[in-house]
Amino acid sequence: MVTVNIDGKNVEVLEETSILKAAESAGIWIPTLCYSELFEPYGVCRLCTVEVIRGKRSRLVTSCNYPVREGLTVLTNSDKVKWIRKLIMELTYSRWPNVPVVKDMAAALGVSEPRFKSLEQDLAPDACILCGNCVNICRDVVKASVLSFEGIGIGRKVVLPYNEQSETCIVCGACAQVCPTGHIKIKSLEKERGALQDWYLGPKTAINIPTLQAVPRVPIIDEKSCIKMQTGGCGVCSTYCEPEAINYEAKDEEIEIEVGQILITTGYQTIDLKQMSQYGYGRLDDVYSSLEFEHMLNSTGPTGGTILCKDGSEPRAVGIVHCIGSRDENFHKYCSRVCCMYALKFAHLVKDRTPAEVYQFYIDMRAFGKGYEEFYKRLLDEGVNMIRGKVAEISEGYLNNGDKPYLNIKCEDTLIGKFREIPVDMVILCPAIEPQFDASNIKKIFSISQSPDKFFLERHPKLDPVSTMTDGVFIAGCAQGPKDIPDSVAQASAAAARILSLISLGEVAVDPIKAEVMDEYCSGCRMCNSLCPYSAISFQEEKKISYINDMLCKGCGTCVSACPASAIIGKGFTDKQILAELEGILSV
Amino acid sequence: MAYRTYLMVCAGTGCVANQSMKIKEAFEKELEKRKLQNEVSVVTTGCNGFCGVGPIMVVQPDGIFYQLLKVSDIPLLVEEHLIKGRPVKKFMYIPGEKEPPIPKMRDIDFFKKQMLIALRNRGLIDPEKIEEYIARGGYSALAKALTEMTPDGVLDEIKKSGLRGRGGGGFPTGVKWETMRKVPGDKRYVICNADEGDPGAFMDRSIIESDPHAVIEGMLIGAYAMGSSDGYVYIRNEYPIALERLKKATGQAREFGLLGENIFGTDFKFDIKITRGAGAFVCGESTALMASIEGRPGEPRAKYIHTVEKGLYDSPTCLNNVETWANVPQIILKGAKWFTSIGTGDVTHDPWGGSKGTKVFSLTGKVVNTGLVEVPMGITLKEIIFDIGGGIKDGKRIKTVQTGGPSGGFIPESMLDLPVDYDELTKVGSMMGSGGMIVADEDNCVVDMAKYFLTFTQEESCGKCTPCREGTKRMLDILENITVGKGTEEDLELLEELSNMVVESSLCALGGSAPNPVLTSLKYFRDEYLVHVRDKKCPAHACRQLNVYTIEEEKCATVGHGCDMCKKSCPDYAIMGEPKKAHYIDQMKCHKCGACFDVCNFKAIKIE
Repeated sequence: MVTVNIDGKNVEVLEETSILKAAESAGIWIPTLCYSELFEPYGVCRLCTVEVIRGKRSRLVTSCNYPVREGLTVLTNSDKVKWIRKLIMELTYSRWPNVPVVKDMAAALGVSEPRFKSLEQDLAPDACILCGNCVNICRDVVKASVLSFEGIGIGRKVVLPYNEQSETCIVCGACAQVCPTGHIKIKSLEKERGALQDWYLGPKTAINIPTLQAVPRVPIIDEKSCIKMQTGGCGVCSTYCEPEAINYEAKDEEIEIEVGQILITTGYQTIDLKQMSQYGYGRLDDVYSSLEFEHMLNSTGPTGGTILCKDGSEPRAVGIVHCIGSRDENFHKYCSRVCCMYALKFAHLVKDRTPAEVYQFYIDMRAFGKGYEEFYKRLLDEGVNMIRGKVAEISEGYLNNGDKPYLNIKCEDTLIGKFREIPVDMVILCPAIEPQFDASNIKKIFSISQSPDKFFLERHPKLDPVSTMTDGVFIAGCAQGPKDIPDSVAQASAAAARILSLISLGEVAVDPIKAEVMDEYCSGCRMCNSLCPYSAISFQEEKKISYINDMLCKGCGTCVSACPASAIIGKGFTDKQILAELEGILSV
Repeated sequence: MAYRTYLMVCAGTGCVANQSMKIKEAFEKELEKRKLQNEVSVVTTGCNGFCGVGPIMVVQPDGIFYQLLKVSDIPLLVEEHLIKGRPVKKFMYIPGEKEPPIPKMRDIDFFKKQMLIALRNRGLIDPEKIEEYIARGGYSALAKALTEMTPDGVLDEIKKSGLRGRGGGGFPTGVKWETMRKVPGDKRYVICNADEGDPGAFMDRSIIESDPHAVIEGMLIGAYAMGSSDGYVYIRNEYPIALERLKKATGQAREFGLLGENIFGTDFKFDIKITRGAGAFVCGESTALMASIEGRPGEPRAKYIHTVEKGLYDSPTCLNNVETWANVPQIILKGAKWFTSIGTGDVTHDPWGGSKGTKVFSLTGKVVNTGLVEVPMGITLKEIIFDIGGGIKDGKRIKTVQTGGPSGGFIPESMLDLPVDYDELTKVGSMMGSGGMIVADEDNCVVDMAKYFLTFTQEESCGKCTPCREGTKRMLDILENITVGKGTEEDLELLEELSNMVVESSLCALGGSAPNPVLTSLKYFRDEYLVHVRDKKCPAHACRQLNVYTIEEEKCATVGHGCDMCKKSCPDYAIMGEPKKAHYIDQMKCHKCGACFDVCNFKAIKIE
């Protein structure tokens, strides 16, 4: 520890601490425009200049990178320091008069009107003030060294080498984060590099709270965009986290839990809209999927709930296209059930929040639920244009040269029997609901069945809609088939009730018809293990024979007939018993 | 093989540019023709310093000096001098009109007052032959240091000698070495800074071109004293001859076992890498230079932690200028006592107490003899300008001398008795710098000159810190305004304030010294500035935009008979008048290019 005297106050700090830090700890403000704790002080704005006195010598130094020494006397507010700061600020201010941080600093230092006019003046409010933060963080923290200075003297500027998109840039956005003026903007490369997230609509840091309503409300680290996990650099968040809660080593882990019953609610996914290139999703700006639009409508979403086109303007007309991939011979024949109603909700909200014209393109309106038809009627009264017919293509069109392009929806209006072309600014596609891509894996694990459309199959569509052919395994929600929220809740409640009823009984009644391995005959060939459709047979390593789990066996008899050693018998249905029964019948 | 005569043809950059290599070939051809090739040898030497009269040749052992040679002169010279033994007067140096030519080099004023330490081998040896350097006592200082002295002994000797950095700052070399020696660390570097960027200065180039081994030997001794085994020479790529000679010299030294392992049979090992600079002025600054060697952009950093503690690759690093290194072997060889006998002040107790030894200056501008001179410290500026430089050209009056390169200051005529000394020069607002010395006469305008120097430093600013990047540009804007008649008296105040701020708050020495020409000119020539801003006139007529060109009608009509030359030369068609009659200038159209003034043979055009 060394003691320094700053403006008459004695401050005790660690050796090698900068004067700026020492002053900060003593509550003394020193102005800076280029200082950041994230990397070594660059010392270029020179605003943090202070006067240091050692013995009889007094000199001006930059406090951000001048290490304290024992017995140092520092003046942060002497006349000389004030004069230097003011003059430097005048220079900076005359060059970038409209940049907020510069303006504020000028006001704080008492600079109102610079005495000279900069010939290189840049009036942009987001001009680059050459603080070097972006270059330094990229080199020292991210260790990617993507950004660099070009030119010397007054012509200095920050560039990407050769002004080309860099290959080494990992699009971490750190440079934009540390830029004090907002000069660096992150351009979404979604089109070139694929979506960062399924419904990515704006920049996010690698560590973030996914949504404001997230439960639990803690940040998560996105492994793919975290610099620490990608290059080993950075680690900035852990230096800031006081409770030291950040753990870069944490990995996904497998947990085994023993349970009696299982409810499968693996849900659904929406169809990949990019395969239907005629709708322009991913190719044309302002063509959104319904989930993305829902995200936009959300008051905690990227636009705060305002409906905006990508260029920031309000749409003049919005087209909502139903049945993308559902009720379609090429993709899914079934109806996704929920789209009609949420499309109507979208129409209502667009009408509510913007003056835009709304067009609905539908095949049939399916407003089947309680109060649904009334909502549909209300929307017709609100003036939503309903066009019955399938959309053929969405393309870009230009009304006048130089105007912003619009989206042209080509469709057939079956009610008037004509082809129509309707110009809109924004299109919302209602993608089909389809089973999760890995539904067949789930099916195999739980020995349940899938219907031809790959949704999980219930035991009986009318009499037993929540249980499966495997005892103790239940299904609910969109894993079973497309349904809306009320239906999902109802089905899930039913499944829960079924499960609870078994739990309250305390014991399970099982069918007595089972297969059984006769240990002395089993040769351990394990042929039956793979044949059992209910995965009821396992191999016992210590005895080197197969074993049938009574609770899982349904008594189907597959193993009985397949066993080459005839070591498996169906209880109550042994050959001897059947023959005896036959004899009994025939003897009459 | 011994020869009866040696023709020492200068092969410094200046003379080479004036075809000295062709002259050498012509000599060789002519000698062969006359069958003298076994009697007379032609040797290429390093720069003699008297570049204004190049190409130069000295005939040894007589020391006859020939200047301004042409290829066509060679047969005559061979015939007369080498065959008939009659030195040719018409190629000799003539000090002034009606004065007899001076045949011998040592009698010429330009050389007479010089004292050679760093340049002691110039013109005497072929710099590309290590044998010739050794023959002149080369590498014996290294032998002495390695075999008879301890590193501490070497350090002590350098410290006692009072040698100070010749690159500009004048930091005591011994103190620097001692600090470096005390810093722990296995890897330590010594660097030779040969990134000489001052316009018109070529001291370092000349030393490397004429005596590269002296620099290498100096570095070896320094490395031994500081316990380093790795050296770098950072040399600008614009010095092709120096670079070539340095490469050859290191190659030869390696061959002779003077670089590498087990030098002189001791455990000492050392080698030198040559790094080329890309021409940025700021890379002459030590930290920017090290950044450049490391492959990073050549930008300086704050030196609150010195480079001797944390320099190249964050290791202890000692950087010295070419001239400093070249002085080291002589100090070791002849002793600190001898060195301290030359120069000013007393350095026995305070290393900052005086300036010892010699300093090489590049004397340019309006003096009769321009070139490179090595003079003992303490010599007055007057002696350099009038005795060595031969006074001002065309008998004009001296106005000022600017020392220290583009960041140096102006010293007015009244202070010419100032001795050449680090501290004296700094006291008056200028500096020793790397040794530029530009003499200006009454035709030069100090505002214009200050603008010229500031234009250079402003363009060469790396742009890293605000005061230097923005401040120098704003200062230049103000100077520009003054020279075109848009300046005000308040501008002078602001200019002074800005200059002081840039000096005080810039990150490195480039910004810290860039305003020196402005500050000193404001200090000593404020009147001239005031004439510019008050009367909108330039007393020296150098700021053309302030000039008013008029034609003396009478003279034009009677003496020149309306020759029409001015009219033809005017790009603005601003000159009116019939041939054979008086002409006049339409001031509205005149753009003040001065073309008419230059072409008028009758001095009928006046500048006001």
